Amino acid sequence: MFSRTHRNIAGLAVVLAVVCVLPFILRPYQLDFLIFMFINIILVVSYRFIAITGEFSLAHAVIMGVGAYASALLAALPISPWISMPLGGVAAAAIAYILSFPLFRMKGFYFLIGSFAAAEAIRLCWVQFIDPFGGFRGLRRIPVLEIDLGELLYIDLGAPVPYYFFALIVGLICLFVMYRIEHSRYGFVFHAVHHKDTLAQSVGVDVRRFRTIAFVTGGFFAGIAGAMVAHYVTAINPGLFGLKQMLFVLVWVLVGGMGHFAGPIIGVTVLSIIDESLRGLDELRPGFYGLVLIATVLFLPEGLVSLPRKVLQWSTWLWNRGGGTLVKRE
Amino acid sequence: MKANITRRKFMAATGGVAAGLTAFGATPSKLFADEKTVKIGFLAALTGDAAGWGLPGLYGVEIWAEQINAAGGLDMGGEKYKVEIISYDDEFDAVKATVGAKKLLFEDEVSIVLMLGITPVQAVKDFMTRNKMLTTTLVPTDISEDAPYLFAPVEVHPFYNVTAVDYIARNMPHIKTAAIATQNDELGLSSLATYRAAFEVAGIEIIEENLFGFEVTDFAPVVSKLIAANPDVITWDTAYPDYVNLLTEQAYLQGYKGQFVNCTLDQYEHIMSKTSKEFLEGFLWQFPDLDDPIMQGGGTHFDNAAAFYQTYNERYPGAWTAVSWEYAAALEMWRSAVSQAGTFDPPAVAEALRSLSPVPHAFGDAEWWGEDFFGVNSAALGKWPVVQMQNGKAVIVEMGDVRAWCDQHLDVLKKHFIELGVPLAG
Amino acid sequence: MTDLELILQTIMNSLIASSFTAIFAVGLVLIFGIMQIVNFAHGALYMVGAYATWYLYAEVGLPFFASIVIATFLTVVIGLLMERALFRPMRGNLFGGLIVSVGMMFVLEVLVVYLFGQGLMKNMTPYFKESWHAFGIESVTISHSRLFVFAIAAFILVAFWLFMSRTRIGWAMRACAQNPEAAALQGIGIGKISMLAMVISAAMAGMGGAVMSPLVRITPQMGHPVLVTAFIVMIVGGMGSIEGALIAAVVYSFFHTFVTTYIGGEIATILGLALMLLVLIVKPTGIMGARESV
Repeated sequence: MFSRTHRNIAGLAVVLAVVCVLPFILRPYQLDFLIFMFINIILVVSYRFIAITGEFSLAHAVIMGVGAYASALLAALPISPWISMPLGGVAAAAIAYILSFPLFRMKGFYFLIGSFAAAEAIRLCWVQFIDPFGGFRGLRRIPVLEIDLGELLYIDLGAPVPYYFFALIVGLICLFVMYRIEHSRYGFVFHAVHHKDTLAQSVGVDVRRFRTIAFVTGGFFAGIAGAMVAHYVTAINPGLFGLKQMLFVLVWVLVGGMGHFAGPIIGVTVLSIIDESLRGLDELRPGFYGLVLIATVLFLPEGLVSLPRKVLQWSTWLWNRGGGTLVKRE
Repeated sequence: MKANITRRKFMAATGGVAAGLTAFGATPSKLFADEKTVKIGFLAALTGDAAGWGLPGLYGVEIWAEQINAAGGLDMGGEKYKVEIISYDDEFDAVKATVGAKKLLFEDEVSIVLMLGITPVQAVKDFMTRNKMLTTTLVPTDISEDAPYLFAPVEVHPFYNVTAVDYIARNMPHIKTAAIATQNDELGLSSLATYRAAFEVAGIEIIEENLFGFEVTDFAPVVSKLIAANPDVITWDTAYPDYVNLLTEQAYLQGYKGQFVNCTLDQYEHIMSKTSKEFLEGFLWQFPDLDDPIMQGGGTHFDNAAAFYQTYNERYPGAWTAVSWEYAAALEMWRSAVSQAGTFDPPAVAEALRSLSPVPHAFGDAEWWGEDFFGVNSAALGKWPVVQMQNGKAVIVEMGDVRAWCDQHLDVLKKHFIELGVPLAG
Repeated sequence: MTDLELILQTIMNSLIASSFTAIFAVGLVLIFGIMQIVNFAHGALYMVGAYATWYLYAEVGLPFFASIVIATFLTVVIGLLMERALFRPMRGNLFGGLIVSVGMMFVLEVLVVYLFGQGLMKNMTPYFKESWHAFGIESVTISHSRLFVFAIAAFILVAFWLFMSRTRIGWAMRACAQNPEAAALQGIGIGKISMLAMVISAAMAGMGGAVMSPLVRITPQMGHPVLVTAFIVMIVGGMGSIEGALIAAVVYSFFHTFVTTYIGGEIATILGLALMLLVLIVKPTGIMGARESV
């Protein structure tokens, strides 16, 4: 236990060091790519946070959009983006709370589809009500963040390098908070609610209450992710938060692996890099991406996070076979 | 279908994956190492739902580049430059467009970026302005005062739609009532506002309107209601070409006998084979065939229009759409500006482009217009053809003057845009 | 056209829409019932059926009916490959199945772009060019192509019903759909059953695409809206319930067609989603569902 923690901390330190050096090596568009990856990491980790209580939602992308729209509209009032961004998260959490009433009457696949329908209804409202949501075209001229301390310091967070560090810091804070919650007393209940639904209920745990708490908390962080997109791209539209985006979130989480906190993070990172690497294929890109998805799920059913263990298993198996003893595969 | 090996098919079959993998890590290898090269950025959807508006355009600009390169290259300041097209798939997504714009500008150092319009343009226009990058869109309502380097050089959708209605008003006095159906999106709504204005000016009453969503697979109910209102003229507004195809067929099947006026009528031979020659006779729309005699010189500005059309259809049978030539037409105009500016430097070319008078538009001389509508003169407005189906062939019946109409009836146009809540400028 | 005639026309339009929605949704429900997999590639199979028919009939010049048969056969082969390679290892794994079918959807969509290019829709001249004036009323018209869709759909559904209710293997399949574990204990080979289910389901999607091909836009993404409609039908009817899916397909199609005609197309979609939400809240198991799956 002791050594493992140490190893983890050492690993984290190396990753952090690399991540901090990257902006000075990489080109601006690659930085942009990483910024959106960090934002997507917040998104998928918050998604897993909800999913560990046992329900898979298809509303997450739209909840993220609620954060983006709320922050953009508040910033137009005008309220400083520094305040509107967290308020965007709060708005997303509030909508998640309202949605939780009808949704948690459902379970399993019904929850999945129900959340899709509810989300789609919200998204169609953005399309339908041109005032204030801007319709199909969405909102533009969303202010970027600035640090303005007069003579002392001025940083325009609209530029890639400063925003990279901002996204990194916000991302780390969000991850830290979610990690702490998951490994607190509450978090154990979350897991219990997932694995032993009826048992948890019988010992007096209000299952629905805990699911709602997870749904609302996850919604808050999704809203933050949405606001971060809004204030960097400076333009949002309903298409950004559609079923396609939601399917990608689901795919990232499941391909990465649900069983471990790092799973979704690995999923986003690996799949985004693969997707970007296939750029040269133009219109054929989704096909290769599809093949990667299929291969991963078939050969790594527990997700990419289980790859090291699997590789170990396969090599042992190969080693033993080479030695002449047949070992039964797991 | 003829088997034809294109560049992308060849790439996919051989080293496509390897070539793709290097794209992220390293600078792409120079295709023309020993020659002077100018790079053109293509930032539109190549995959997904909007690919039909992007990919055929990429095919088009690749053919355009080939034709230029085959002739020795692009002439600038007495020297020949090879043209290289660099594409980035924005998936019609604001985030992807943001990343793509940075790659095209800082990584590939392109001299112009061609875009489709609407949400991806909204996402990157401030960035383009900050970096003084010349950008084109096919949707004029994208342009705005705060984006001096963004032009709508080819399409002036939906304004040109007024010309056919104006033609009806002058030549078909028996037409008194109209019915409209279109899809409920930015293109459909802005076009609806324009048709409402055009019909109002023409003294034609709109008696039925139906807006449908993207998920429609069956157009029978939409058409039934329209026909039940018994209009003199039906318009599908700027419904997507595929929708126009199916809607028109439904109108035929349900026994409609009146006049049509529409933005597009792509693949009209197919529509004719589904309906009848008599049924389509007199159909009015706005897009001529590129091999139309009027398009070969004679005041229009699209070099080798017929050869371009032919090459395209041979290489990509069945893929021809309006956007097939529009991105290429924007490049034609860019070429004029480059030769005038004597440089590829985007701000200088933008300045030269803006100073062109008349603007060499594919449909003839135009002027930069839009001050009173978008707040900036960045849309090339001039003549636009009114096309009529005559004896099974698309014939340009007149070159309508879009600019004169818009200047005269600007208040009516604006009123209907505001009424529908369509933003005037991006 | 009088008001009454418009109502008649709309009823006719609704009937045609119901028949197609029904065969598409029943295929989806069948796979869910037997394998607990939501097949996102079902819409792609429909798309492949339409593309194959277009290519064989309009481009190669084969007879229309031969094209339909070959297109259906092709989708069945693809379906079987999917079943063996992807769905069987994923049986009962809702999300694993979801991902592999999403992956398959990407692959199939890219495949048709690769083979046939992406531009305007692929056009074909309908085999049937005439229209039928319902009940002799001049202004109430239905094209023969649409009647053909209705006839084929009705034929498939009746044949399917007979198969499920009159044959031993049909009973076995129903037993499987209701309770896979119990069926396995009874000695029913789930492998064979799921293969058969895939054949039927893929054939329904493929033939649906084939007969609809003269009527719709043939594009790589043509399956998406149909799939969303089928999800709504699946939920309203109750997950895994074939009878429920049938009833829901008819109810939804009538609802959607009437709202499209009398109010507007976009409103119809929003109300359709609202209807689904309402069913989910009031009776989460759908109109015919008894048991909560998963």
